[in-house]
Amino acid sequence: MILLAQAVFLPIALSPVAYLLGKRFGARSAWFSFVILLYGTILTLLAASISPDYIESYDWSPLGTFGLRADGLSIPFAATIYILATALTAYSIPYMTHRINEEVSNLPENERKSAFNAKIGLYFAFYLLYTAGMYGTVLATNLIQFYIFFELMLIPSYFLIAEFGYGDRDRTSYLYFLWTHIGALVLLAGLLTIAFFSGSFDYAGVSDASIPALVRGWVAAAITIGLFVKLAAFGLHIWLPHAHAEAPAPISALLSPAMIGIGGYALIRFMVFLLPSVYENITFVIAIWGLVTMIYGGSMALAQDDIKRVLAYSSISQMGYLIFGISTASYVGISGSVLHYVSHGLAKAILFMTAGAIMLQTGGIRNISKLGGLASKLPYTATAALIGFLVIIGIPPMIGFQSEWMIFSGAITGSFHQGSSLHLAIAILALVATPLTAGYALLTMKRVFFGKLPDHLSSVREASPIITGPLLFLASLSVILGIYPSIVNDRIVPLLWMVLGV
Amino acid sequence: MIPWLVWILPLIGAMLTPFVAKMGAKVRDYVAVAFSFLAAVFAASLIPTALAGEVVHSQVEWIPTLHITAGVLADPLSILMANVVAWISFLIMVYSIGYMKGEANLTRYWFFMNFFIANMLLIVLSDNFLQLFFGWEGVGLASYALIGFWHTDEKERWVGKLGHQAWKLPQTYSPSHAGMKALVTTRVGDIAFLIGILMLFAFAGTFDYGKLAADTSWARELAALGLLAPVAILIFGGAIGKSAQFPLHVWLPDAMAGPTAVSALIHAATMVKAGVFLVARVAPIFVVAAGSIGLIMPFFETVAWVGAFTAFLAATQAMVSKEVKKVLAYSTVSQIGFMMLALGVAGLSGDFAAGYTAGFFHLTSHAIFKAALFMGAGTLLHATKTKYMDEMGGLRGEMKITFVAMVIAAASLSGIPPLSGFWSKDSILGAVLPVSSPLFIIAVVTSLITVFYSFRMIGLIFFGAKSQHLERLQEGGHHVHEAPAVMWVPYSILAAATVGMGFAGLFLEGLLRDTLGGYVEHFYHVPTLHAHEVISIPAVMSSLVVIGIGGFLGYYFYISRRGDPARIIESNIVLKNLYKFLENRWYINALYYKIFVDGILYSSIGLFKRLEKGFIDRSSDAAASGSIFAAAAGNKFDVHVVDAVVNGSAGAGQKFSSLLRKIQTGIAEQYAFAFAVGIGLLIIVMFLL
Repeated sequence: MILLAQAVFLPIALSPVAYLLGKRFGARSAWFSFVILLYGTILTLLAASISPDYIESYDWSPLGTFGLRADGLSIPFAATIYILATALTAYSIPYMTHRINEEVSNLPENERKSAFNAKIGLYFAFYLLYTAGMYGTVLATNLIQFYIFFELMLIPSYFLIAEFGYGDRDRTSYLYFLWTHIGALVLLAGLLTIAFFSGSFDYAGVSDASIPALVRGWVAAAITIGLFVKLAAFGLHIWLPHAHAEAPAPISALLSPAMIGIGGYALIRFMVFLLPSVYENITFVIAIWGLVTMIYGGSMALAQDDIKRVLAYSSISQMGYLIFGISTASYVGISGSVLHYVSHGLAKAILFMTAGAIMLQTGGIRNISKLGGLASKLPYTATAALIGFLVIIGIPPMIGFQSEWMIFSGAITGSFHQGSSLHLAIAILALVATPLTAGYALLTMKRVFFGKLPDHLSSVREASPIITGPLLFLASLSVILGIYPSIVNDRIVPLLWMVLGV
Repeated sequence: MIPWLVWILPLIGAMLTPFVAKMGAKVRDYVAVAFSFLAAVFAASLIPTALAGEVVHSQVEWIPTLHITAGVLADPLSILMANVVAWISFLIMVYSIGYMKGEANLTRYWFFMNFFIANMLLIVLSDNFLQLFFGWEGVGLASYALIGFWHTDEKERWVGKLGHQAWKLPQTYSPSHAGMKALVTTRVGDIAFLIGILMLFAFAGTFDYGKLAADTSWARELAALGLLAPVAILIFGGAIGKSAQFPLHVWLPDAMAGPTAVSALIHAATMVKAGVFLVARVAPIFVVAAGSIGLIMPFFETVAWVGAFTAFLAATQAMVSKEVKKVLAYSTVSQIGFMMLALGVAGLSGDFAAGYTAGFFHLTSHAIFKAALFMGAGTLLHATKTKYMDEMGGLRGEMKITFVAMVIAAASLSGIPPLSGFWSKDSILGAVLPVSSPLFIIAVVTSLITVFYSFRMIGLIFFGAKSQHLERLQEGGHHVHEAPAVMWVPYSILAAATVGMGFAGLFLEGLLRDTLGGYVEHFYHVPTLHAHEVISIPAVMSSLVVIGIGGFLGYYFYISRRGDPARIIESNIVLKNLYKFLENRWYINALYYKIFVDGILYSSIGLFKRLEKGFIDRSSDAAASGSIFAAAAGNKFDVHVVDAVVNGSAGAGQKFSSLLRKIQTGIAEQYAFAFAVGIGLLIIVMFLL
């Protein structure tokens, strides 16, 4: 059966069609992309239901095998990517219509329609490529294949920011491209070194032992640093606040939740699965790095006035949790990180969509100090935002609690196993830092939605159902998974138990 | 099956609220109340099980890969607690129909009220820590939503006297601020709690109470590391947050920004009682797991001292509060302190059941009289359109029912015989006396203060002359009058229950002792003394003395109004400063704001300006512009690099903007699109190779 190959290649192959349809039919053509992505979502879930370790592989000599593998690790990522991308396609229709209309409003009357159509076609064409890039990255079974998809997600997203972004978008998109590309090249150096010593590009052919001990440290450093750029770990995060804040809302809602966390996926795949002996040596460093990222991101989020920047820094902080979970060397902790990707994915998608909805309904206001009291005007949006914030704070019954307790349980159990009071101290410090998340999240909630409604917002109305629908869909998903996380845990936990056995 | 229904029914009620609301406001209100009633009925149906000393335990799979189950455990402790919670909540729900009449957004109100009750019952009936934590945080969430119910923050909804400052920090808070404060402050305790249970999980591999008590090898391992008592104390941290004990007590007084019915629910039936319940739940487990009481002694000492100190701290603040709801709030904090004290001394004495029963007995009697006091206060707020006691006065004529109910409840709070509060407080004093004299003295002094502030509250509201505020209201055509029956019936029932429990006091105490003492002995093999004195004579004597002194002072100043307290305080510099110290809440609240709010905000903003913007962003820009110039290289290379260095980062952004625009403008779309398609084709080609 060809399921995953369809899900990867249909969006790529049909992206020119999306462009042409957009050119001809305008915003309505988005439903074409929606159907493709919905189909891909169904295929992904189908593949997952067939087997806990579903593989399609094709000969790809001389590079090895071109495989698409939906195992316990990749499925939570792949499914999240497709579900978010599908929901965001619908959301994109009103949002991008508005956004592109702003852009073309300075053109002469008679040119506007064609310019609009060309741009919206372009948007959805890139959008499909971008989604396929992310999706292919997590399913890859070959180092080169991984890298190609890794770049495929970068390039369309660069154009999406450069073409449709806000503010100084040339600068933003350039920074984005530059830093993440440098990160990707560092990663590539690491991957090629692995392949060189193992004599194979396939994951299956990689052998930890064949890499000389002297080189291992360098490989680990290259892979970790390369991926930490994507994860926006402290010090390597500088591209993120710009890119997330200035991208159009649906793209922010893919960049942050879906894309940056893929760095976490790759860290688990390469370090924990492929290079376990090296992984053991770096856990301490990445634990500290994760902790610093967590606190730094949260503290930066407190200092922002731009609502999208609050969310951007919050993403950095949340990636700190993800990194921290990966550092635990415990199957519960790393499973927690995987669940945290899903959880942060849902939450941050909700929150960026909310931010977009606010901008859409208030005529582009994104300064928190100019907002307030919107709960009575935007009841559904406010409900979704509250759920989104509760997820990132980690309050049950939201999924965020499930992932956080697993991460911290892994960290605490791990530290006892290692008999290390230093690890225990770090784990406790990380937990002590979590009220910071509650602080910035609830403060933002209060400043945006509660209090007195300013006069200039008195005519604001709730967004259309095509905006609130996807929002409430994702919000209910985060509650359902919070109450019953086994949908994800049943896949990832046994796999990591097998790999780590701790 | 029934224990499941007890907490699931109110949850269903909450979920149905938005849908039922479509059928009309009346239907919605009654359906919401009906679901809380059903929970109470099912809880009551479990009472025979509890009295027989039996247990209903039912489990289902939850997270099988981590061997985590969900379940309900209906044992005597949880059944008795569930009944207190469910019945008082039901009465408060009935009261809400009247109290919230005419308010907007009631769908949200009813949703969260039922959600609140459901989560509290979930806490009570859970059979493991993880599931309990769901209820625990659910309660926190509900409190956040309900304290901040009037989230539009009109000035008249704020809590505290406008303009009141301590250390130049405002001491008045808007409802949305108060809700946030409640969630964040209790979150701090919850983190401690979470660390504690995760440490347990690290060694025991389970959250299940039954398994933790059955196989106690985890405790030996923890004890070997010296962590057994610390873990127990960390778990107690959760109780400190939820039950508003020192040092996390600051949120509760400001939670008064919520509707009074919500305050009643938080203070009497849910939320703050959760902490006491948690201690009651874990204490026997730790006693049995420790093997020898010595290993776990620091835990009980912490509980007892935190409780005693909080009781005293909060009581002193209740003496000077001007708002009736705040008096009640401080009083709750103080009374919860008494309960903690009782549970703490349980583990310190040879007779575990004495303190244990006393704590639970006081929890029950306090739940009843405090709910009555809060609902009475809500009626007063409606009738007098003010929350300040000095704007009330002389109301005993107009509001006879409320007057009688509140006097009974306040007398019970003061511990006046033969009301329920007398017996429960006396049993606490009786349990403390043999254990520690300092704790006993603190408890007695606090009791004295309690009598005084109770009398003060009743005196200020119902006695003396009418305030100018009330005179003005009457001139304006507003006549103060009694509340409708839907409001006064619930608290009259509770006042009657206080009297009834008082007359049956000794019998009830014996029954509780048999049930709970038998329970801890039977299930956890915690030794209890079967022969004990029912009444401790020294404790009763001290009770009566403090009632005499506190009552006299309260009567003299606030009921007969012979002395003028304001003048006495003004004329004495020590008293004046003491008054200010108490009014400013011992400056603890201000200190927290200085450190944890202003301090963190200040350092975040500083870090953002200096490090993020000033260094990281600038170096990134410099590197980016460098890369562009390197790429554009050519003969202009050196000129531009020099330029870039000179102009610094400010100019760099513009520079590469314009450079890029040159590449992009005009052909951007075609170019970009061709590029993307090229990548796609490349993959397909590689794929076919």
